[in-house]
Amino acid sequence: MVKKYLLIIMIVFVLLLPGWARAADFEQLRSDAAKIKTLQALFVQKKQLKILSKPLISEGRFFYVAPDAIRWEYLKPLKSVVVFNKGEARRYLMSGGKMVEDKSGSVQAMSIVLGEISNWLGGKFNRNPSFQASLKKGVNVMITLVPVDKNMAGMMEKIEITIAKNTMAIKSVKIIESENAATIIDFRQVEINKAISGSLFQEIK
Amino acid sequence: MKMAPFLIFLILLLSSCGGLPAIKKPAYLSGEQHSDCPSPFLKKPLRLIHAIEMKMGKEPRGAVIGVTLADPATRFISCAILTAEGVVLFEAQAAPSLKVFRALPPFDSLDFAQNMIDDIKLIFFAPGGKMLAGGTLEDGTEICRYRDEGGNWIDVRAGIAEKIEINKYSSTGILKRQIKLDRTKGNIYQHIELTAQERFNYALTMTLLEMEPVESELLKEDAEGDVK
Repeated sequence: MVKKYLLIIMIVFVLLLPGWARAADFEQLRSDAAKIKTLQALFVQKKQLKILSKPLISEGRFFYVAPDAIRWEYLKPLKSVVVFNKGEARRYLMSGGKMVEDKSGSVQAMSIVLGEISNWLGGKFNRNPSFQASLKKGVNVMITLVPVDKNMAGMMEKIEITIAKNTMAIKSVKIIESENAATIIDFRQVEINKAISGSLFQEIK
Repeated sequence: MKMAPFLIFLILLLSSCGGLPAIKKPAYLSGEQHSDCPSPFLKKPLRLIHAIEMKMGKEPRGAVIGVTLADPATRFISCAILTAEGVVLFEAQAAPSLKVFRALPPFDSLDFAQNMIDDIKLIFFAPGGKMLAGGTLEDGTEICRYRDEGGNWIDVRAGIAEKIEINKYSSTGILKRQIKLDRTKGNIYQHIELTAQERFNYALTMTLLEMEPVESELLKEDAEGDVK
């Protein structure tokens, strides 16, 4: 379960980097990544499952402040927040009308993986051998990530990232989990290096 | 008429069985569903999506999204539990035998899967066994009492502060589940409270997010198809 959470967060985090949008090759991505000081975006997530006749829609927002502060927040239909700050991860869920911290053991593992994300933000993409990446240019730019790690491959088939060619901004991320399950995240209002309050990464009470 | 002494004995038995409330004014006794019985159960196949808040004991344990496909005619159930982030924690089908397609911790025990299917049936399907008694309780609420195939007692009560209650008791009369449906809401499934008395007691508060009719034929395809 934890791997799933973190996988989605990791993927989205990496994909939001402007380096992916501007660069034509992966070497360029590495140098561009280092220029990011802050990042924020809104997102709409569509979950497709065989049991659903139409996608389940979730909405939320995402914040990052270099070098290692992350807030991944869902606003609808259920509120949840994952905060990673100074090497420590916390997850909160709305329960009984207030945000309640998830005290399960999954949080410890979350810290480790979110630490890995920090490496990626530093442009160290090639240090994680879990995915094989390819890039295809067309009307839009499509980046495909295929998991090579066996554990990861068991959780998903591939990830497709669409980047608008004219603006080079991230349009969407499609995580194909299986024949009958996929998660599509559409981003909007992506803002780079705009001031973000540090309070967003504090403990939620 | 020969059955009368037996039925009177049965009423007394039901009235004295552990925690089962006594039916003071038995209005009818039948092996069939009586038209006066409260029946908050599904009449046609539906897909329901609920936000579900969970408590273990009195401790809040967060919330998940529950998706249920249920057909009262065939008693087919397909269900899934998702996190707020959309991660599928649990996916199973009872058509009628239980098949679990995905079960991640803490939803990975077979007991959990069976209990969840049983809870869904209890909420949405009319009791599968026979109706044994019906009438009113001391407080004036209407009640119909059933016994399911497993020997459990199921009381369906109406008239309790605008709620309908479905109470499930063990064969020895110990209350195992209490479900409250709110009749004041536009939809009887808009707000559901479930309290479970198990080794670890839990409570669920379900708030309806979406509901739509489903073609029964589609459910048949699901039951016959290879769901992954």
